[in-house]
Amino acid sequence: MKLTKDEQEDFKALVLPLLDELHRLAYHLCHNQCDADDLAAEAVKKACENFRRLRDRAKIKPWLIRILSNTFISACRARKDYRAIEYVEDTDQEGEHFSLFTQISQPFLLWWGNPERELINKLLDEDIQRAIGSLPVEFRLAVVLCDVEGLSYQEISEILQVPIGTVRSRLARGRSILQKKLWHHAQESGILTRKKDDHENRKKAHQEHQL
Amino acid sequence: MKTEKKHIKSISCEEALKRVFDYIDEHLRGKSRAELEHHLETCRHCFDRVEFEKLLKSRLSKLKVEAQSETLRKRLDALLEQF
Ligand SMILES: [Zn+2]
Repeated sequence: MKLTKDEQEDFKALVLPLLDELHRLAYHLCHNQCDADDLAAEAVKKACENFRRLRDRAKIKPWLIRILSNTFISACRARKDYRAIEYVEDTDQEGEHFSLFTQISQPFLLWWGNPERELINKLLDEDIQRAIGSLPVEFRLAVVLCDVEGLSYQEISEILQVPIGTVRSRLARGRSILQKKLWHHAQESGILTRKKDDHENRKKAHQEHQL
Repeated sequence: MKTEKKHIKSISCEEALKRVFDYIDEHLRGKSRAELEHHLETCRHCFDRVEFEKLLKSRLSKLKVEAQSETLRKRLDALLEQF
């Protein structure tokens, strides 16, 4: 179905200003430049093909985000390593309530400042993006749309066409797994242990000073 | 003679923690929100937890992305010309 010249111009005028945002969203979902390019291009192509179905042009942005999200989910589900969230939910029960804050803000560590704030400052964008990129697909979408893109539950519910309760539970699970991954990364990369050594050294120095 | 504030029900830390994400996502309104805010005024632990979750959320919102590649821009231009 070919668009008329006028429709083409309308489509371009509406979509061009949103390309950067679409690409940004694609990048956060794929965490890989090539895949993000493919995803963004595929979404724009589908949008163009279905442009006549868009009744309210003021809703172009959520409409494009929905097309991109659906394209992303379909592509992921077609992959061999896709894990349905039901399965993830069954096998990762204790991840449900994981809280980075609870792990870090141990009372005995409190006296050397604000470790949870320090941890967030020390994590690189790359660390966080890798952790987001490893979340199960549906959880990743919820976290990216809410926390990275700043959309409301209502907007996400409309984009993903699931009830608000589902948005909330996917977000809760996604954030929990994300925080757990960041916690493991912080431990493995030594972001936290270095602080602990400082703490030990200071304690030793303090004791020596007292002798 | 009771003031508005005295009508706010006290909630436990457990109850407060259940509302933290709705709160930072601006999804908590009315009485539930007032109860949580009242709890946060008196409980340091829950206050710190909210601050932490807010900070993490704001860190996510500021993630940098590699600029849109030249190839993508060209692909999209070509695509748009095609229609
Ligand atoms: Zn509390």
